[in-house]
Amino acid sequence: MKLFRKSAPTGESKTAATSREGRRSFLQKVGLGGMLAGLAGFSLQSFRSLIPNVLYEPPQKFKIGSPSLLAEGVTFLEDKRLYVFKEGNSFYAISGVCTHLGCTVKYTKLNQPKQVEIDGEKQTIPFEFHCPCHGSKFYADGTHYAGPAPQPLHWYRLEVSSEDGQLVVNLEDEVDQNFRLTV
Amino acid sequence: MSFTEATKRIYSNLTWTWNPRSDKEAGDAIVKNLLLHWFPNKISKRSLSWNYSFYLGTISFVLFMILVATGVVLMFLYVPSVERAYSSVKDLEYVVSFGWLLRGLHRICAHLMVAVVFLHMVRVFLTGAYKNGSAVGANRPLNWIIGITLFLVTLLLSFTGYLLPWDQLAYWAITVGTNIASAAPLVGKWIRFLLLGGSEIDQNALIRFYVLHVFFLPIIVLLLFSWHMWRVRKDGGLAVVDNEVLKQRAEKVPPVRSKTYSLLGITQGATVHVQNTMVDEEQDSVPSTPHLTRRIWLVTLGTFIVTVLLTIVFRAPLDTPANPAVTPNPAKAPWYFLWLQEIVTDTTIKLGAFTINGALIGGILLPGVLVLLAIWWPYRDKSGMNSVGVWFAPERKRQNVVFLLICLFIIVFTIIGTFVRGPYWNFYWPWETWPEMPVKF
Repeated sequence: MKLFRKSAPTGESKTAATSREGRRSFLQKVGLGGMLAGLAGFSLQSFRSLIPNVLYEPPQKFKIGSPSLLAEGVTFLEDKRLYVFKEGNSFYAISGVCTHLGCTVKYTKLNQPKQVEIDGEKQTIPFEFHCPCHGSKFYADGTHYAGPAPQPLHWYRLEVSSEDGQLVVNLEDEVDQNFRLTV
Repeated sequence: MSFTEATKRIYSNLTWTWNPRSDKEAGDAIVKNLLLHWFPNKISKRSLSWNYSFYLGTISFVLFMILVATGVVLMFLYVPSVERAYSSVKDLEYVVSFGWLLRGLHRICAHLMVAVVFLHMVRVFLTGAYKNGSAVGANRPLNWIIGITLFLVTLLLSFTGYLLPWDQLAYWAITVGTNIASAAPLVGKWIRFLLLGGSEIDQNALIRFYVLHVFFLPIIVLLLFSWHMWRVRKDGGLAVVDNEVLKQRAEKVPPVRSKTYSLLGITQGATVHVQNTMVDEEQDSVPSTPHLTRRIWLVTLGTFIVTVLLTIVFRAPLDTPANPAVTPNPAKAPWYFLWLQEIVTDTTIKLGAFTINGALIGGILLPGVLVLLAIWWPYRDKSGMNSVGVWFAPERKRQNVVFLLICLFIIVFTIIGTFVRGPYWNFYWPWETWPEMPVKF
């Protein structure tokens, strides 16, 4: 029961009592510190376990077939929500995910090609992307010009696989609107 | 006020209840702290004693809290679908950071909780703490029944959790367990059908066991536990206090009309405390803060440290994925039901052309009789007040011996089932190797 004694017993010197109090206070701090460290450790490991190390989602880099087998013009990859364009030997890929809230934009061929100005440059565009959810509209290069979309459609890097010559899309590698893959 | 002073003031406001500076503050602290208010203001020194209760009830509670804390995190990571359960548990072991620790700690605490709750029940019996003492209005037999119910719910919690990994061990342990349950007369088959959500152990069974395990059974434990602790306060504290009171009466100390701080004292009727002879507060009792709270804190820390160390040493096993087509040989129930499985094997009786299923005798009747006996015993016990709150009281010698013999029998059968039974439930000494069993037929 010595642990719980509050006052010094008679006959104990003042120095001894002070040193005992100091030791008790130190041990209390060590105990409390230990408990808090244990609790902190437990909380940290519980939180860390909720950050996934491995994802069972489809890979962000994938092959889409041989360049020669791709149709001229536009091909829409539905499960990847990606528009792949082939203009002769030149290839590029534009995301079909609207930058507003993530709906899939529609490739809309215009009745007549349209004259537009993008970054001070005049261009003629035969088609646009229209989002059905909230009315956002994008020019052929993905530039947003109407509706609530805050940013242009994303462009992703295209490469040729060294193994089999297939086209490889990398959804983790964004590129600008000047990107073209020439095969 | 400077920043330092303000910080100190805030710190002091938040923590004063854990570090009171006077007896008055200690009394206030108990009332004003959410966690501490379930303790009485003062507690008798004998109640505090390590070797009276061994703090087994506290340890069970701490184990339950660790189970809830680890369980809640595991709920984010485990998937209760027959296609994904096993791989989610495997991910916990090998992919999720600290997943092995979470799962291992959860499992170790689950096994320990069954054992510690059992030991707590043994302690309560051996000290006669299920009996009423001299206090008027106490109802310790009721609290004993609440405790038995808590023990049964603990077993159910462990049993429902056992299935969740969906490995061979889990699947066949639950096959054995639910088939024993189905041996109950009249309602057995229906109970099995309801529990499994069908005739097979499949997706319905998994999701039902999961929901029971993570929601319904923990809620029941929380409610029963709250009632259990409230009853301890209502009954005047631990049973050992009643024994102290008797000693005081023997010392011819006049009864003290104690004050009560609860509403019960000023509304209709009277509390236990108002009519009872109080333990002399000056001599034999100490404030709960810091004496009891400090010990509770030590027990909490100690339990946590021991369970984490055990987890590091004894990692949770994971068998091959559940395969309804292949029965492992032997197929064993969880360890706390192995004594039942042993009896079930040995009690199939043939009377001519008539066979009585061992599952009925050993699985339903025998444990049923034991539970009913346990519930009935406090009302049958004729021993006097001198044996309340006393270890191995001479007056209760015979019943203590019988109780210990029953416990020994359960423990021995559990040991036999764990270590000595091999394929086809034949006897194998622990050092004997088992024959290779075919896994494909």
